[in-house]
Amino acid sequence: MRHCGLLKGWLLPVLLALAWTAVAAEKQEGTLVIALDTLGAQSVDPIQETRSPHAHYQAPVYDALVGFNFENGGKGPGVAERWELAKDGLSWTFYLRKGLKWHNGDPLTAHDVKFSLERTMSKESISSRKAALRRDVKSIEVIDEHTVRMYTNGVQVDFPENLSRATSGQEGQLMPKKYIETVGAEEFRKKPIGSGPWKIVKNVPGDRIEYEAVDYPHWRGTPHFKRLILLLVPEESTRVAMVRTGEAAIASISPEALKEVKAAKMKVVSVPGTMQAIYQIYGLYLPESQKNPLADKRVREALSLAIDRQQIIDHVMYGEASWPLPFDIFQYSADTDIERWRKWSREALRYDPKRAKQLLAEAGYPNGFELKFANFAMAGTPFMSQIGLVITDFWSRLGVKVKSTHYEFGSFAPLLLGEQKQLVGVVSMYRTAGRPVAAPRFYTAFHSRSDHHLLGRGNDCPELCKTFDELHKAVTVEQDPVKRAEKTNRMIELVSDAWFAVPIIEGMGYWAVNPKKVGAFKPIPGRHEFGDVFERMPRPEQKPWQ
Amino acid sequence: MRRYILRRLLQGLVLLVLVATIVFFLGRLTGNPVDLMLPEDATPEDRRALTETLGLDGPLHQQFGIFIANALRGDLGQSIRHRQPAVEVFFSRLPNTLLVVPGAMMLAVILAVPLGILSALYRGSIIDRVAGTIAVLGIATPHFWLGILLIYIFSVQLDWLPTSRMGDYRHYILPTVTLSTFLLAGFMRLIRSSMLEILDSEFVKLARIKGLSETIVVWKHCLRNALIPVLTLWGVFMGGLVTGAIVTETVFAWPGIGRLTYEAVIFRDFPLLQAAIIMDAVLIVFINLIVDILYAYVDPRIRLAE
Repeated sequence: MRHCGLLKGWLLPVLLALAWTAVAAEKQEGTLVIALDTLGAQSVDPIQETRSPHAHYQAPVYDALVGFNFENGGKGPGVAERWELAKDGLSWTFYLRKGLKWHNGDPLTAHDVKFSLERTMSKESISSRKAALRRDVKSIEVIDEHTVRMYTNGVQVDFPENLSRATSGQEGQLMPKKYIETVGAEEFRKKPIGSGPWKIVKNVPGDRIEYEAVDYPHWRGTPHFKRLILLLVPEESTRVAMVRTGEAAIASISPEALKEVKAAKMKVVSVPGTMQAIYQIYGLYLPESQKNPLADKRVREALSLAIDRQQIIDHVMYGEASWPLPFDIFQYSADTDIERWRKWSREALRYDPKRAKQLLAEAGYPNGFELKFANFAMAGTPFMSQIGLVITDFWSRLGVKVKSTHYEFGSFAPLLLGEQKQLVGVVSMYRTAGRPVAAPRFYTAFHSRSDHHLLGRGNDCPELCKTFDELHKAVTVEQDPVKRAEKTNRMIELVSDAWFAVPIIEGMGYWAVNPKKVGAFKPIPGRHEFGDVFERMPRPEQKPWQ
Repeated sequence: MRRYILRRLLQGLVLLVLVATIVFFLGRLTGNPVDLMLPEDATPEDRRALTETLGLDGPLHQQFGIFIANALRGDLGQSIRHRQPAVEVFFSRLPNTLLVVPGAMMLAVILAVPLGILSALYRGSIIDRVAGTIAVLGIATPHFWLGILLIYIFSVQLDWLPTSRMGDYRHYILPTVTLSTFLLAGFMRLIRSSMLEILDSEFVKLARIKGLSETIVVWKHCLRNALIPVLTLWGVFMGGLVTGAIVTETVFAWPGIGRLTYEAVIFRDFPLLQAAIIMDAVLIVFINLIVDILYAYVDPRIRLAE
């Protein structure tokens, strides 16, 4: 009788688990096909990719230590359910979810987390933030199977952000220690396994990647489709045609395609807060630049007031863009007084050509001046150069004689390095990408040791430059959230009032959707790539579009 | 003939060395791949670390020395983007291009030969005018636009054919037609003008006087001579098609070497760009050699002169 009781004791949970698995598996059917303009390096090894395409094609397979806030954007729980900063600010402890496993059934533990980060920082890694991680991480300690502690060099309040796909990198992606150490890196690249809701079935370079859904419930969301295929289709009109014919359920598009997509009764999904188109001015901190009209803050402000941003939103972006907040600030930005900045941007970034002309006259340029402009588009945002054309036209109406040079970005990028001799006094297009924390991007643009160093560099670091450097440091080490918010807002104010890098519009990621092939879904704000969304896309009969 | 082939092979080798050198240095003038691999908020140390990992931090002459030493062993470097030997990446895509190019060439020749002949035989007639219009359209119509138009008509509107990508035989139709259009126009015009010249020649008059049928005069005597310059054009087109079908490959998402080379340029993947251009040069040298050998066999005068 006791045996019967024991039998029933273990039998019931097993039957329930089987039933749950069967139910989960039963609901998975069909193939979700996505047509993309890029698959990056198309490498299944997280340490062999450097840019955001990894968030399309690696994200389905690999979980990240820190995840997303799916509703509002920004970071949220990942494999780590929560994390804590030590009182002395010199370590972060991450508490992992229990019961997670790799695709081969091995349990996912803190040892895998330590291994993954060390692998990401290793010599063979070309991960884009490897150097930053090496600089920030002193050591990693496994406390127990589900707890890992990372000791940092100095206080790093934004450290968890670097381990989330909500920022740029793939540095938080977790790889299986036991499997890689057993089979070796080469074999891992031929037969990769992860812990994500999808398993890679086939990787055809230059063409496609095929995945199969895991058949057990997954914390990110159990996929509704049985299979997922990401197709590399570089030409946009072909991608749109594929959505129209149903060969693809979803395709990435640019604003120009929106009209055709809507006319063909396809749906458009816009992902808010993915980037800002901006313009920025170089080398004005140099002594020899002081006679340049742009050295006068009134002239810089005038350039902004001369731009009719609403026209750009309506006619260049076909209505699918937003009024920007300050430089690199988005609705989901952490430690930021969004309401304050929303009011500021409506006023400060308004279209006011009369005031612009007044400011020019006050500065001593009533008839305008000559300005050199470098126009280009960056990968993934081809509309940047059209916006560049439009703003030069607005400036011309102000009396500014614009000498515009169009670059392919690869040939402009080297000019940014070092002393920027060819860029002194030049204005160029640029962009910011949606990030939950502003400090890193502010560093890149304004810090005296950064690549762009718009405020100063080395011995040529005037008062504004020094103040920024100090304020930025204060933001990155401040542990008290209230004080950090205060300092962050001061940093935003300092930069906004200087008019060296000015947002033009807040752009979105755009997707054409065939409503007969996929059901209604919501993107993650600020995240153009759908690698963390595929598992939450329903089939059309499960959730039809309105 | 053997001496001729050997001489051409040696010339080809010298050409390849020149091409490799030019591509090596010119490519590096266009920028640093690291700039395109890093996100906007990368720091200078991120850039330095990646530059070092990719082996792009040494002086240029040192990098060139390493490249030449490796190239002599058949190693043209590792693709920066794909992290695989560049030659392997190139050869993994070459078959995809070779799958569609012969079809395009054959379609062009099958249509161009009869159209060119008819155009010449019935000069000034409606057939000649229609053929002339086809030729002008074929040369003037951009591949890019034609490809998109064909997708729109046959895939989106009629739903007869798939839009793009590799697959079953239906996937080959639109890219093949797109690629063949320009070839058709070029071949047809050349065959027509060649035929017109030959139809007026003395040996053709003699053949007619001897009582040979018009069919034999045209198809056996005239066509063989008319095809000699076409052979040269075939070699030029073939080389260009194999190495430069980039527009068609992009429109139809065809993973061939044209698109691969374009991506290598855009991403400053120097090793892959070098490998692609050197391999392209090898292919073109080889194709031109084949053409020259065929020339010698088709035209006995050339064989005797050699």
